[in-house]
Amino acid sequence: MAPAFELNTTISNLRDLTESDLSPYDAIYLGNITCRLYEGNLLEHLDDLREAIAILKGQGQKAYVSTYTTPRNNDLPQIQKVVAAAVEAGADAVEVHNLGVLKIVHEAHPDLAVHIGGFANVYTDVGAAVLKRYGAVRITPNYELSLEEIGEIQREVGLPMELLVHGKMPLGISDDCWLLEYEQTWGVPCPALCRQELFLKQGDWAMKSIGKGVLSGKDVCLLEHLRRLMTGGHACFRVEAASESPAYRLEIGRVYREALEAALSGSDGLKGQWWDTIRHHARIGLCNGFYFGTSGMAYHGVQSPGADAAEAQRSGVGQ
Amino acid sequence: MPVLLVPAGSRAAAQAALDAGADAIYVGLKGFSRGGSRNELTAPELQDVLVAAHAQGRHVQAALNTIPRQAERRDLVEKVGELIGWGIDGVIVNDAGLVAELRSRYPRLGITASIGCVVMNEADVAFYRDLGADAVVLPGTLTPDEIAAFAQVPGVVIEVMVHMVDEFILLGRCWMPSYYQMNQALPAPLGSSGGRLLGSVKRGGAGVCFKICEQPWELYRGVRCVVTRLLPSRQISAINHLADLLNAGVDVIKLQGRSLAPDLVAPLVRRYRLAIDAWMAGEPLPAFAESCLEPSWTVMRR
Repeated sequence: MAPAFELNTTISNLRDLTESDLSPYDAIYLGNITCRLYEGNLLEHLDDLREAIAILKGQGQKAYVSTYTTPRNNDLPQIQKVVAAAVEAGADAVEVHNLGVLKIVHEAHPDLAVHIGGFANVYTDVGAAVLKRYGAVRITPNYELSLEEIGEIQREVGLPMELLVHGKMPLGISDDCWLLEYEQTWGVPCPALCRQELFLKQGDWAMKSIGKGVLSGKDVCLLEHLRRLMTGGHACFRVEAASESPAYRLEIGRVYREALEAALSGSDGLKGQWWDTIRHHARIGLCNGFYFGTSGMAYHGVQSPGADAAEAQRSGVGQ
Repeated sequence: MPVLLVPAGSRAAAQAALDAGADAIYVGLKGFSRGGSRNELTAPELQDVLVAAHAQGRHVQAALNTIPRQAERRDLVEKVGELIGWGIDGVIVNDAGLVAELRSRYPRLGITASIGCVVMNEADVAFYRDLGADAVVLPGTLTPDEIAAFAQVPGVVIEVMVHMVDEFILLGRCWMPSYYQMNQALPAPLGSSGGRLLGSVKRGGAGVCFKICEQPWELYRGVRCVVTRLLPSRQISAINHLADLLNAGVDVIKLQGRSLAPDLVAPLVRRYRLAIDAWMAGEPLPAFAESCLEPSWTVMRR
């Protein structure tokens, strides 16, 4: 019998994998998708990647191997090596954000399970249907879509949708790393630069910079809405923790494991200590992303742990 | 023979582009294009532009680069049928699914995969060709060597946006503005008077790009603000490197800027016309005084 839901997260390198207790998770996405120079990136160190897959399989967890979001021509050979290594090592799926890479993967490994990542810009059911023809078995729709739109795509295409339920949501990707400007000033060379806590702020708005990538400053949090997600037919949930600490991965993962199991049993109860843990790890605050059709930094819910009046007004949230 | 494809945000700009030597122009259609309602043409205006351009043997493309919501997709597909009736030479779209659907529905329609499709490698080029795109638009940040490899992919036209803003985040990979704010004054939905597709900023409909990446930001390292600064972005103009691109096999030289006024479009087009004509005649390209245009000529005005 298939498990009722899957909770997964992201790990960039072998050190993060070995230093993190990943027991709350059913599956792990391996590799940093934003930059080839990321410290110890599993997508560049294939022996580490094989070892990581073996560790996860040994723990009874699924191993998914990610690929870069926006590769240029000279990145393609490495991606082909990564995918070949993933297949050889028994990875359960690869995640693809780039449609050219999807074509390459499908032609080389037509039976390989492919998960479509959030940067692939799936906005419509016809877009999802195209990717299904190329071997997609699961899709993370673009983060801008509402639950209503995601549900329509799921119904039309018949593929499971993966939802980011907690963590910092990707907001964009660049072709260049602007943090390199600070190597000398700060005396911090690449690849240590983007592992620092770097936030961009403007008034009450914040984004986290990870070099080429920009993430939401607030943590997306759907803790209050898990039953709704399950009732809506969703079963694949991600805690985005690539740029977080081992403690974040473990403690947030435990909260969601417990909460999902509770939701599965029909419980609406939310434990106070869950909120304590989530608030402890949310440096800037909480939001719901775009799932409710308003601005990504708004929070909807009775607990409102991250909302304030100005946000509600700005996003048109009247509750 | 390379084609010079030029933006036009009004009938006057279209005429200025044609007079200055554009081989083809692309326009927005009210309600269906990214960037909001400004710089879009009404149906009668587009029909006028089609007549004027075709009379001179030039082509017109419609940028239908809003990604519609599920319920709006049928409206867009039907609108394309209407445009074909008016004589449109091609459409520019921003979604892989739409490329496939339009190809299936309109087998003879010219379809371009927009720069928002983020075609950055030769496998992307082949992917969009296989879906049914006749052309793909590449950013001007790619190198001539990369573009030469792309040009080896058979059966697809290579367009390069040689005059464009290289923003902090890649075009087609940014949803920062809608994270902050949705458009509070939502326009009417399609089907009502003045209506438009209600897309996000990425999708381009109701959403408005607040140009947040062009505003000052405080950079915090840990708890300390270390600098207040603008995020990196730049105006690209390949005018002095055009020969390299054309030698690499670029089919279409494309300029960005439906917001440009007619008096800015004309000199910009004349420069590129001059350079392309020189290349075609086998002559050295004229050396322009500056590689980047004057600030008033740039989309960002900085």
